[in-house]
Amino acid sequence: MVRVFMLFFALSLVTDAIASDSETTYKFYCAQCHGVNGDGTGPNVTADFATDPRNFTKKEDMAKLSDADIRSVILDGGPALSKSALMPPWSKTLTSEEVDGLVQVLRGFCNCQGAP
Amino acid sequence: MRYWQVGLSLAMALWCTSALPDVASGKAAFEGQGCTGCHYTEGPAREKTIEDQLAKAGPELWYAGSKFNRPWLEAWLTDPKPIRLLKYNSLDEKNAGGHPTLVGADATAVTDFLMSLTTDAVTAGVIKPKSHPKGKLIFKKKMPCSGCHQYEDRKKVSGGLSGPSLVGAGARLNPDWIYAYLSNPTVFKPVRMMPVFAGLMSPKDMEFVSAYVASFKGE
Ligand code: HEC
Ligand code: HEC
Ligand code: HEC
Repeated sequence: MVRVFMLFFALSLVTDAIASDSETTYKFYCAQCHGVNGDGTGPNVTADFATDPRNFTKKEDMAKLSDADIRSVILDGGPALSKSALMPPWSKTLTSEEVDGLVQVLRGFCNCQGAP
Repeated sequence: MRYWQVGLSLAMALWCTSALPDVASGKAAFEGQGCTGCHYTEGPAREKTIEDQLAKAGPELWYAGSKFNRPWLEAWLTDPKPIRLLKYNSLDEKNAGGHPTLVGADATAVTDFLMSLTTDAVTAGVIKPKSHPKGKLIFKKKMPCSGCHQYEDRKKVSGGLSGPSLVGAGARLNPDWIYAYLSNPTVFKPVRMMPVFAGLMSPKDMEFVSAYVASFKGE
């Protein structure tokens, strides 16, 4: 019993570590446009910023995107989904695991599941 | 040997030494003025994680001699105006300025020292500054550069704030460094908020956009 408990404890530490890493990744790369709280109001979004970055806290918009959509727009940038080129491509910057982690961070902001 | 010959050769020797870059005393001044507290000057790049980058109090200077144009550097050290619009490593505080200032001989000597810090990761003579329509199209439309960098087009300054301002980048940056920074970024900054574009843009497009950035005039 104690062993099972220890196992769960160890596993929860691991998932916590991954979650906090993904938050660090989000804050470093994405918050400059999407905002620390995911509401699309990062410091780059000045009056002449042509297209508003996606507000990740809007459940109805985010629910329309599948996890695969989110992955491909992170990797290949806005044009991958016929969106603005102001959304940069990150395929040469982030690892596949980091992108998976970011999808989870975004799902945390919208508190929603994606379209299948 | 005649006296005048001795005199002349002595004068020439003096003239030569005074014109020589004063790297050693520049290094001493750099250390003495506390610059090492915020800048490291020995490569290669040390940052491995986001935490490493966020722990830095100022940008690395180990390739300063390949990055900056000398006249800009010497002038900036005596009158340092903000380059980044936000405080270093911050997303919510403005850059309030107040960078340490150097005067007179110290500024020249520290410039000599910083200009001696070069890297062979930069190939000379590749990029000629040019406000090419192709470079402009990449910068403003095809790629997200303007989302993070201020720049000036037809006397109007616009663009994002998270990257260093590129207004006047032509006076500040060595055009060949810009190209090297785009095509081989991890040598200079293994961890940075700017995406890696190497492999996503053709080498030709990188040349165009580098030439365009290098053509940005000052205010
Ligand atoms: C330079 C600013 C900028 C940065 C940095 C940025 N984005 Fe974006 N992002 C945008 C803009 C602008 C849009 C909106 C594009 C549109 O609607 O045409 C967008 C849209 C998106 C979308 C929605 C796409 C859709 O189909 O609606 C996702 C998901 C996204 N970004 C994720 C991220 C992630 C994750 C990061 C960090 C790795 C990031 N972005 C970094 C500017 C940025
Ligand atoms: C308290 C920390 C601190 C100290 C001390 C300091 N600097 Fe800086 N330095 C910075 C920061 C932060 C920046 C970025 C400023 C900006 O973007 O406007 C900077 C920028 C620079 C740059 C331009 C680098 C680039 O990549 O844009 C040079 C050159 C420089 N400093 C030289 C010096 C010299 C020489 C000294 C000593 C007289 C010195 N610094 C002392 C923090 C410091
Ligand atoms: C998501 C934001 C972002 C995008 C998009 C972006 N940059 Fe940057 N850029 C930065 C940041 C942040 C830095 C500073 C990195 C550092 O010093 O850690 C930087 C640095 C630079 C520098 C060096 C400036 C200096 O003084 O050190 C140049 C030149 C540059 N970028 C050009 C470009 C070009 C050209 C593009 C488009 C192909 C581009 N950037 C796209 C954020 C961005």
